[in-house]
Amino acid sequence: MKSRKYWVPILIVVFGLFAASCGSANKDAATAAIKVAEDAWNAAKGEVVKYIPDQAKGVDDAIKAAKESFDKGNFDAALASAKAIPDKVKELTAAAAARKAQLAKSWEEMSGGLPRMLDAVKSRLSILSQSKKLPEGLDKAKLEGARGGYEAAAKMWDDAKAAFSGGNVADAVAKANAVKEKTVEAMKALNMQVPQAAVKG
Amino acid sequence: MADEEKQQDTGSDAWDATQWHVVSKGETLSKIAEKYYGDPGLYMKIFEANSDILKNPDLIKIGQKLRIP
Repeated sequence: MKSRKYWVPILIVVFGLFAASCGSANKDAATAAIKVAEDAWNAAKGEVVKYIPDQAKGVDDAIKAAKESFDKGNFDAALASAKAIPDKVKELTAAAAARKAQLAKSWEEMSGGLPRMLDAVKSRLSILSQSKKLPEGLDKAKLEGARGGYEAAAKMWDDAKAAFSGGNVADAVAKANAVKEKTVEAMKALNMQVPQAAVKG
Repeated sequence: MADEEKQQDTGSDAWDATQWHVVSKGETLSKIAEKYYGDPGLYMKIFEANSDILKNPDLIKIGQKLRIP
């Protein structure tokens, strides 16, 4: 009985130390995992935000959740949350790269085709401005509408090229699509044949 | 859309914006100019755009494919 009297406090101290060391280990692991997650995200975030911005918030939220768990002393939860983030970042990095490649391809196609469409409309407008009478199916209002559409498209095309030169491919492609729509509209108003690629969208 | 205004074969270049017209029986450059521009007097625009295949604005052939600038 006497020896039991001494063993109980010793065991309590030993268990206490063991629990404390486990907690400390989990804390260290969670700290490291959060750092790894943040480093991975910081390296990838720029491209993800640029090409798939709607998906970036999920990772920001996951890092925030891991930190909140950590701050509440819930190191296991923080570790679990943080450990899942690098895989998600890897997935988003691949998706952003795929989107970037897709945009680059769209730009390449449109930058070859749109100037030719704009030139065709410009040429037709120039000749129609010399005409004494408008052709069947085209009145003055339609002609002026087509001219306005062409001028807006030509200006927007300059903006698209500037965006591309500035490295903003997503913005350049969005602008180029708007140019395409306006030019197609003008071509139809002028009773011109629209190139197949511009019709397909 | 003008029925006779044909697009160039798009098999190799789907972005080709060239406007085409295939000459029908009884057509002249003036008539074609009137159709597309409303003014037959602008026939020289078509002639100049097709100087590689036309040597005389009064001589065009049925089935000939002309660029319409």
